Amino acid sequence: VTHGAERLVSRVLLAGGGLAVALMLAGLIGIEWSAAHRASPRNAPRVTESQAAGRAADVFVSLPQLGRALRRRPPPPAAVTAAGILVLLATPAVALVAGLAAFAVAGDRWYTAISAVLAAALLCGFFFNAGG
Amino acid sequence: VTDLVVLGAMFGTSVAAGVAGAVLGLGGGILLVPVLTLFFGVSLPYAMGASVLSVIATSCGAAAGHLASGLANIRLGLFLATATVTGALVGAELVGVVPTRALQVLFGLALGYSAFATLQQLHVEIPSAPAATAFGRRFGLEGVYHDWTLGHDVRYRAARIGGGLAVMFGAGMLSGLLGIGSGAFKVLAMDTVMRLPMKVSTATSNFMIGLTAAASAGVYFGRGDIHPVLATPVALGVLLGSYVGTGLVGRLRNTTVRKLFLPIVVYLAGSMLLRGLGVL
Repeated sequence: VTHGAERLVSRVLLAGGGLAVALMLAGLIGIEWSAAHRASPRNAPRVTESQAAGRAADVFVSLPQLGRALRRRPPPPAAVTAAGILVLLATPAVALVAGLAAFAVAGDRWYTAISAVLAAALLCGFFFNAGG
Repeated sequence: VTDLVVLGAMFGTSVAAGVAGAVLGLGGGILLVPVLTLFFGVSLPYAMGASVLSVIATSCGAAAGHLASGLANIRLGLFLATATVTGALVGAELVGVVPTRALQVLFGLALGYSAFATLQQLHVEIPSAPAATAFGRRFGLEGVYHDWTLGHDVRYRAARIGGGLAVMFGAGMLSGLLGIGSGAFKVLAMDTVMRLPMKVSTATSNFMIGLTAAASAGVYFGRGDIHPVLATPVALGVLLGSYVGTGLVGRLRNTTVRKLFLPIVVYLAGSMLLRGLGVL
């Protein structure tokens, strides 16, 4: 029972982390490429030393805002990176749901219930704060 | 070039944070936040956002490896996570109600005592397992892993489950109240209170910290504290470092991991006491 859940959760964590990093990297390459072709290239230290400067264009703070940006063709590189960030933030909750499924299939009611409560708390917390 | 050098340096720091996090069961924020703010001039909110991201990245990389190798106990992690998540929710509700400084002094003293207890069992490789209980068996609070350094399977069983849950609740409450990660508390609860092997404690903590951080991640995202330019090298570095770190844990003895962990506890106890007393 435990081995099945552990294998599944392990794979979800690894796949989520890998997908997130791939998206973030693709977005960052796009951000750097477009910054290099601007008249006044921006530099990372200046952007990250002040929230006011950093938030101007690159930071997404809600799911609807990010969804609108991702529907543009081509999507802005910062939106691709933000999608990667979201995938990473959601990965533990998705892994928990995968664990829940494994426990449910194995008939372990206690851990199905515990996983369900924890997953609900994580997902509700996230959408309450970032759902827009 | 400036951008690449800075991003490369952040990436390198994050790799180190990931390795340390995977070995010690921490999120890496303890290393990342000071480095990002002091050496890279990153604003504190962005550094905190990067720290939350690094905790989840550490958890993804390290827990994936530890779960596959059998070092992390998913049931133990989920069972204890019920206490940390409840504690975090209670802590978040108590912001502004409970005197934070008094709590910091209290937890600083608790950490100081834990450092003393850790010092006392510094050379204990495998703690003696308590007698089996129906409750522990029902909830899977026991297990077995293959220890490559010892060359044999190690069976373990959680002791003082109520005490462990209480410390986990306190750790979660502290996370909710102060907005800090609590990987060190989780490791201490499992190692010192529940008498689990150190490597099982750090590996299971790696799984748990991802859940705790994910609970507060939406807050940081919604506030705009996770900057993409900063997030990418941090996440990439930490993920890579933590995956490397999981391989390293298998080759270390429990006593070595505990010796590496002790200075972190002493540092945390000192900084928490000083903050509580208003010195920092």
